[in-house]
Formats: sequence, structure tokens, C-alpha cells
Amino acid sequence: MKLTSIERISKTLRLEEPDCVPTCEINIDKKVRDAILPGASYEDFIEYMDIDAAVYYDWAYDKYEIIDEHKGIIRDKFGVIKRKTAEIDPIPLKAAINSEKDLQYYNPPDPDVPWKYEPLEKAVSIFKGKRAVIATVVDVFYMVNEIRGMANHFIDIIMNPELIDKLNEIVLNYNLRFITNCINIGVDIIWITGDFAYNAGPMVSPEHLQRFALNPLKKQVDCCKHFGVPCLKHTDGNILSIMDSLIETGISGIHPIDPGAGMDIGEVKRIYGDRICLIGNIDCGDLLTRKTGEEVRAAVKNCINSAGIGGGLICTSSNSIHSGVAPKNYVAMVEAIRHYGRYPILSEVTSLT
Amino acid sequence: MPTYDLIVEAIIAGEENQVVTLVNQALSQGAEPQDILRNGLIAGMEIVGKRFRGGEMFLPEVLLCAEVMHKGLDIVNPLLAKAGHKGVGTVVIGTVEGDIHDIGKRIVGLLLEGNGFEVIDLGVDVKTDTFIQAIEKHKPAILGMSALLTTTMPYMGKTIDLLKEKGLRDHVKVIVGGAPVSQQFAESIGADGYAEEAGSAVELANKLIG
Repeated sequence: MKLTSIERISKTLRLEEPDCVPTCEINIDKKVRDAILPGASYEDFIEYMDIDAAVYYDWAYDKYEIIDEHKGIIRDKFGVIKRKTAEIDPIPLKAAINSEKDLQYYNPPDPDVPWKYEPLEKAVSIFKGKRAVIATVVDVFYMVNEIRGMANHFIDIIMNPELIDKLNEIVLNYNLRFITNCINIGVDIIWITGDFAYNAGPMVSPEHLQRFALNPLKKQVDCCKHFGVPCLKHTDGNILSIMDSLIETGISGIHPIDPGAGMDIGEVKRIYGDRICLIGNIDCGDLLTRKTGEEVRAAVKNCINSAGIGGGLICTSSNSIHSGVAPKNYVAMVEAIRHYGRYPILSEVTSLT
Repeated sequence: MPTYDLIVEAIIAGEENQVVTLVNQALSQGAEPQDILRNGLIAGMEIVGKRFRGGEMFLPEVLLCAEVMHKGLDIVNPLLAKAGHKGVGTVVIGTVEGDIHDIGKRIVGLLLEGNGFEVIDLGVDVKTDTFIQAIEKHKPAILGMSALLTTTMPYMGKTIDLLKEKGLRDHVKVIVGGAPVSQQFAESIGADGYAEEAGSAVELANKLIG
């Protein structure tokens, strides 16, 4: 029986077998969208491609204060000076809190500004009950890393942990209010972005990760759970050593199982597949940018066979559909998910017997 | 215990006051600034680097050790300059044209600084010409290029080709890194080295400057 997209994603997050492996993306660059469906709105594109969730990436519809229009220098809502790039994420140039005394004069952003919710309200009016509406929010650990500056953040974790606790609280309070507001207007799922790891592994020790990253993450997850809303977590990097700790926060899904960091989605499925939904992991660095449609289809088939049997897989790219992704490859990827992702998915061994 | 070993220990422990005291003590005992740099400060960071690559230390610990090492460097550097000695070296780093991935490069930059290199970070989406201008201006020992997209990797080769065209290739060592980059790719474009991750970038940089 064909499910609606929201039913499909909900069953998948509950680790039940749906009708087909669902798909969605944290962000699909406008250049790619326009190449596939010229001039269409994001919502029309989602309908056209029959994507299971409309994801609203926080930084894609944030408002920034312009510092230097010519050079693309902006200030974000937390006061971080950044430079705009061709991609969605601007690059941080200067921290908002350069010394502890800056905190005296610091004004955190207002999570209740109405404009922040307009795209989500529109999405809910279009998709509610049919496709999942997902709002993303930048995780506390990652945002404080930008607010304080990377080097200062990491050194403060050891030398001035109380300052990091204060900054964590500022961002956490914003996030909890934002999450609550999103849920109250009808958002179905919250997706928390922001990396805890890189290729070599977690950025900080287990002890520091627990205090400064996992504890705030758990509070955000608990907030979602209070309303019965699933919470997903994105982190690039090799997270194998911290999977248990991540699962213990109560997240329903983990993205992207970063293949560039040596993560094998089949291995992660074998070890953790009965505890958490996996979201990933079609390579968007090499495969989706320059390989053939045939190679994309083969990768999707492999991903589904490795991690989709019995449910528990949302098949996505390994990060996002950025501007370098070949549009034909994204189309091939989605078509392949629909083709190879129909349940029941038999293991290659079973299918041969 | 010899003073250099004590400096090494103090760096690993992140003890700033100890490093400053021991460096001054070593100087007052007649140690050469160059020897304090190599056998104390850099030796300490090499051990930190090994522990980082081995997963015993993480970015906060490494950066703290680097900051502490720099307090010692602040004492010896003026003496080295006065005696006509060069510092550890200058590295120009950047993410290539069309690529805005930043975090890995920034970590490499912080670790190189921690190991005594002067780092000129050109940022992201760096045009080939901009790399060349930076090399002409700063005369670095090493150029480090990062890319996270296969579509932007070719700019690494173009930069090396332009270095040859400008007669600069023999004046600078080139190292490359980033998720899609490989040793094979590095060799194919004529780079001097490939670093799989941040910790090995520092080890490679130290090796290349001898």
C-alpha cells in the first residue's frame, strides 16, 4: 500500500519498514533546482521531484546585517562577522565574543521574530499531512565555536569552561524557544545541524563532548520529545567512536554517515541499525558532481542494500545537494531510490536463493 | 632532568608559566635560542602532534599546548632574528577557487601556528593568481591547498602550473589535502606532498622544511 511521504518518513524513523525508502535533503542549491525545473519555487520543486520532506535550512532564510555589500561582509543573528560565498553557508571571519567582557554588552537574538517562521508556516499550509516539514537549527556546540572563534572556543573548553557554559546557555535558550515555536506552527521534524567531528574523529575528548555538545543536544532532543516530534542530528566526520553517546541523547536519526571520513553505512547499520535511523550517504563530493548516472544508480543500490533492509534508512546525499552537484545526477539519485528502494528489499544473498 | 626535556614536558602539560620560566632559565645558562627552539619547543609540539594523531589528545589540548609553546617562541624569536636565524617557516594556505570548505584548512592553520610556523591564511575560494601573489609577497617555504570538491581539485594543478610558468616552483614546497584528494592525485599534479588529515599536514610540513 502506498504511503504518504509523511507516513513513509515517520515509519522509517520508528525503524519500521515503510513502502519505499524515503529521501530528502538538508539543502538543494537553487542552481541545481533551476536546472531541473527552471524558475520553480522550492515547494513546487519538492512536489515535482516527489521528495518526502521539505527541509528548511536555517541559514538559507536567515536575515543578516550588511557590513560591506561590495565585499559580501555580513553579521549574523548571533553577532558573528561572516563573508558570503556562492554556497548557502557564509564563512566566519570574526567572532562575536572576543573576550569575556564582551558578554556584558551582548544581546542574544530574538527567537520570536515573526519573519523567521514565515517560510515554515507557508510550508505547513502546503505540505501538512502529505510531506514532512522539517526545520533545521544549528547546534549549540557549533554555534558557540563561531560565536567565540574556533581557537578561543577550544582553548576556553580547558581554560575557561564556565565562559563556554554561559555561551552554551545563550544558544541553547535560543534553540529551545525556536524549536518550540517551530513545533507549535506545525513543523513535523527538527533537524539539528553542526559538526561534532571531522575526518580524524571527534573534535574534542569524550569528557568535553559530553559537557559541551551532548548535554545541550539532549536538552534540545528532550524538548522535541516533549511534543512527540522526532529530532535528527547532522554531523560530518568520523563519528563511529561516539555513536553510542549520540544515540543516548535520544535522536531518532543520524546524518550523513560521512563516506569522506571513512564511515561505512553498512557497518554502522550492522552495529546500530536496531537503535537509530540512518540518513545518508550518497557521496556529493565526487560521485554526484562528476560521475555518471550509471555510477550514481549503482551507489544508491549499494546504499539501500547495505542499510535499507527492513527499514531504518532515509537515503540522502552525504551532505547536501550543493551547487557543484550535476543536476542529472541528482535526478538519477532520486529515481534510483524509488526504483531500488521498494519494500520488501531482499538482501543480495536472499535474492539469489 | 635536562632543561630541554623539562620544556617538552611543560608544553605537553600546557603549563605556560613553566615554559616561560624554563626558556629563560635555559637562556641564562647559555643555551642557544636555536637549540631551545628545536630541542625544547618544537620537540614538545612533535610529541603533542603524535598524541593528537594517535587519538590521545584532541583539538582543545593541542591548541592549548600550541599557545603555551608560542609563549616560549615569543622569547626566542627576537633572539633568533637578531642572530639572523630564520623562524620555523612561513606557510601560505587556502581553499582553492570555487570551493568554500573551510574547517579542515583552519584546523591545519591552527596546528601549523602551534608548531611555530607563520601562517598566512588566504581563506576560501582563492583564485590561482591570488596564491601566486601571496607567494611572491610572503616568500613562504610551503604552499598548502585544500579542496573538498572534485570539481575544484583541478585548480591545485593549475596553481602548480602557474608557479612553474612564473619561475616560482622551485622556491616553494606544495602540499595538498582535502577529502577527495589522494596521494596519487598529489603526485599526478606535481605536488610535494599529500596530507590525509590535519595532524599529518604538520608532520609533512616539518619534514619538507627539513
